[in-house]
Amino acid sequence: MEGAVTPMTPVVRTVNLEKIYQNGGVPVPAVRGVDLRVEEGEFVAIMGPSGSGKSTLVHMLGGLDTRTNGEIWLDGKRVDTLSESAWAVLRREKIGFVFQFFNLVANMTVADNVELPALLAGASAAQARARREELLDALGLTDRADAAPGHLSGGEQQRVALARALANQPRLLLADEPTGNLDSRNTRDVLRLLGRVHAKGQTIAMVTHDARVAGMADRVINLLDGQIVDDADMAPARRRTGRSGTTGDVIELRG
Amino acid sequence: MGAAGRWIRADLRARRGQALLTVLAVAGIVTALITAATLLEDGTNPWRGLFTKGNGAHVWIHTVQAPDPAVLKALDGVTDVAGPYRSAPGTLVQSGKKTPVTLQEMPAALPPVGRPVMYEGRWLDALDPDGVVVERSFAKAVGLRPGSAFTVTGLDGITHNLIVVGLAESGDQGFYPEWKPGLAWTLRETLLAVEPKSARSESVTGLRLSDPELTDLTVQRTVTALGGQVRRVSTWREVRASMELDNRLLGVLLALFGAVGLVAAALAIANAVGGRVLTQRRDIATLKSLGFTRGQVTRTLLIEHGALGLTGVLLGVAGGWAITMYALQDLVVVPLSLGPLAAIAGGTALTVLVAVGLPAWRGGRTPPIPAAPATPPYGRLSRLARLALLVRLPPALVLGTRDAFTRRLPATLTTFGVAVPMMMISIGLGCWATLDDFRDHPERVGQAAALTVRPGSVPPNDVRRRALADPGVAAAYPGAEVDTLVPGQTRTVRARALGTSADPYPFHVVEGRLFRERGEAVAGQGLLDLMDARIGDRVRVTIGGTPLIVLIVGRVIEPEQDGEVLSFGIDSLAAKDAVPIPFYSLVLHDGADPAEVRARLQAAGLEVSQPVNPADRLAIIRVIIVALVVVLALIGLANLLTASALGLRDHALDLAVLKAMGLTPRQVTATLVTATGLLVTLGVLAGTAAGASLSAWLIDLQGAASGVGSGIGRTPPLPTLAVTALTAIGAALLVALIPARRAARSQIPLATR
Repeated sequence: MEGAVTPMTPVVRTVNLEKIYQNGGVPVPAVRGVDLRVEEGEFVAIMGPSGSGKSTLVHMLGGLDTRTNGEIWLDGKRVDTLSESAWAVLRREKIGFVFQFFNLVANMTVADNVELPALLAGASAAQARARREELLDALGLTDRADAAPGHLSGGEQQRVALARALANQPRLLLADEPTGNLDSRNTRDVLRLLGRVHAKGQTIAMVTHDARVAGMADRVINLLDGQIVDDADMAPARRRTGRSGTTGDVIELRG
Repeated sequence: MGAAGRWIRADLRARRGQALLTVLAVAGIVTALITAATLLEDGTNPWRGLFTKGNGAHVWIHTVQAPDPAVLKALDGVTDVAGPYRSAPGTLVQSGKKTPVTLQEMPAALPPVGRPVMYEGRWLDALDPDGVVVERSFAKAVGLRPGSAFTVTGLDGITHNLIVVGLAESGDQGFYPEWKPGLAWTLRETLLAVEPKSARSESVTGLRLSDPELTDLTVQRTVTALGGQVRRVSTWREVRASMELDNRLLGVLLALFGAVGLVAAALAIANAVGGRVLTQRRDIATLKSLGFTRGQVTRTLLIEHGALGLTGVLLGVAGGWAITMYALQDLVVVPLSLGPLAAIAGGTALTVLVAVGLPAWRGGRTPPIPAAPATPPYGRLSRLARLALLVRLPPALVLGTRDAFTRRLPATLTTFGVAVPMMMISIGLGCWATLDDFRDHPERVGQAAALTVRPGSVPPNDVRRRALADPGVAAAYPGAEVDTLVPGQTRTVRARALGTSADPYPFHVVEGRLFRERGEAVAGQGLLDLMDARIGDRVRVTIGGTPLIVLIVGRVIEPEQDGEVLSFGIDSLAAKDAVPIPFYSLVLHDGADPAEVRARLQAAGLEVSQPVNPADRLAIIRVIIVALVVVLALIGLANLLTASALGLRDHALDLAVLKAMGLTPRQVTATLVTATGLLVTLGVLAGTAAGASLSAWLIDLQGAASGVGSGIGRTPPLPTLAVTALTAIGAALLVALIPARRAARSQIPLATR
């Protein structure tokens, strides 16, 4: 509650966040006491080896998964106590998701996929359409608007997914291995787009196990066995180079 | 709603065929139900319609002398009185053929209560005393039309030449020939001319009651009030029962099929929606990650699939209406009334929504993490698969077998989805076989005698000799039918004396034994139910005024009068009812053509009638069976498509692995077809076996409920079952082959994750 009083309210703040899965009666901790603070306009990369709990963390931040213990504050409001439906409503307005496997609705056209969140948030058909045209234009996908997602390349699909995530101008963009399923050229395209969105002030939390990808971020957080083992601010100058950082090397040895 | 609307539209577009199949299946069921109900209602309704139109009397009292209408009207519950009218027996003479007829007096101005409903021609006219109006079913049976000559002789033998001026229907008496003798209305003066002696006529008075439930009480009061005057009483229940006589078995059979259809529809929809939701888990999770709430997802699914079902219901209602209007024009006069129609539409709609509800609710509970992998198929190698490995079957078969049984729940659902329609089809075939049996072996439904002869213009003593003289006749059993009062009932039932105790008519006894001595009798299920009697009970009945105690020694299949018939040897009957013998039932030699024998006997001067085979009365069932089989096949197909879509989803990942392991596309196809085919075969066999073993029992149950009695059910013949099962399996394999081939030949390994 004190958090709301501070002049700079973080977009996301977690306090001692824990997630414990039950596996046949045996508790398996996935996230153990994570205290995280993401300021407005920040681009945070979350790294870690497989099973380090990074996806779980991001899912909890977006309300896709429930926390076992601890607090989650979004925009100065406590949200970990919300019901599933309240989380859903919150996601419509404040959170955009990008997944590793794009997760476009296969039966819907690209245009419908991108318009869906806006419609869901209560925009009129015309508003949703305008917003979609704007986004697809910005992402260079205008001519693919009527295509089925299955007919697009992986990179194009991920760009559509990004457009969909940005449809409602969310406070927070959560990306779970957005380049995990892409070749290097498409990875570069998608990262360039993420950089552009970030440059316009979008707050982003991205899970990746690729150090070069993480190099795009302002800040790299390393998870190991569900705990933050390293939280490093990147020099602004390094952001653009895309070269492997020291932390990334460590992770890559493990991954 | 915009977002959900987009999703629904896209989903429907992506699976037009399946959606259409769902709509068609529901529409088919509803159409079949409406058609069945229409036929049924039309069979039951003539009484209601006629009674309402004619403002009929609930009770008709036949007395020796005309009672005082004021006394009757003063009775509690009686709102109005019709008559009293004089009524006299006569004989209609048509070119040598004599038919008994009841002449009843009616005023030229139609009375307010119990008036006949004009069908054709005009009503009686005081200026035309020779005119008679004939009851329609009787007129049809004896071939009378307005303008026909109506030559009638009274008991004194004097012939009167009257003219038919009109045909009318009445809800106060049953249809001819169930209700005999036939009825004709004349003016009082005409009646008195035909039968001047009041001792030979009787008086008929109708009572209209404020509440039909007061019938029994009113009858008792009337009998008390009129003392020994009352000869006979008939009530609206009797009339209604006689009019719906043919339809009770039909009704229960149709109800059975209706229930079967609803269950099948519910199953098909639940299966289709359930399968669809399972294959869409990832999309649903994506929607939730975008901000769809649990309720929104459930609602969206409910709306989409519910709308399909409701479209089916609407289409079905339209289809049912069209069938009534065009296909059944000759059979059905009035379309189904609103009540049953609403019940069918509402019931199906409710079934659809309930069937959609559960999978929709489950869909709503899908966790919102779209990246979460679908639980991969797991489980141990089934015993069957291990056995297959042991006997070195081709790998595709082994893998298919393994796939089929790895996931228990979907396997069970698929098997059931095929087994239930198959079971119902088998039951339908059982009904068909039963009808065939009625026709081929009428002796098993109590119709051993193909013909009944009455004296006609032949002296009664000569009938038996003349009948037996025909080369086609094997035996002639003397018979008589008398109205009988049974204790505790206000209406009469039929007692039938047929054959003698020493030489009984070949009744089809299903329980107990046939009567062997005087005073022993057999009864139909309907009568046993009516009297709450069992085999071995002694019952006291009043036959034609004579009390008689009979021992019920057996139960027979009794297709007439809803089984409310008591049968015994004619020697148990008092002489006044049995001499001269009213008719003979003729059993023909095998291979003798009843129509030919009938013609020869008629030429010999005998009056011959041919009983209606129950199979003919139930002929409409065959149409329903065919329609139902089509709909059930559709449902089975829908279930199958769901199953194979699910199978593909489960195995898409495996497919890539299988190919990587070196299976040829053909082997992959074989694997997939085996996986579906095995379950289908299992379902078909189980369904056929269950249906075959259940059908005879179920039909017997229907038989018992309808009064005919159990013992009529037949199992469909083995070759029919085999052909049906093989056809089903073959069609199923063909259907499973198409998606399997497509999947096997697709180059890119289908990544579902």
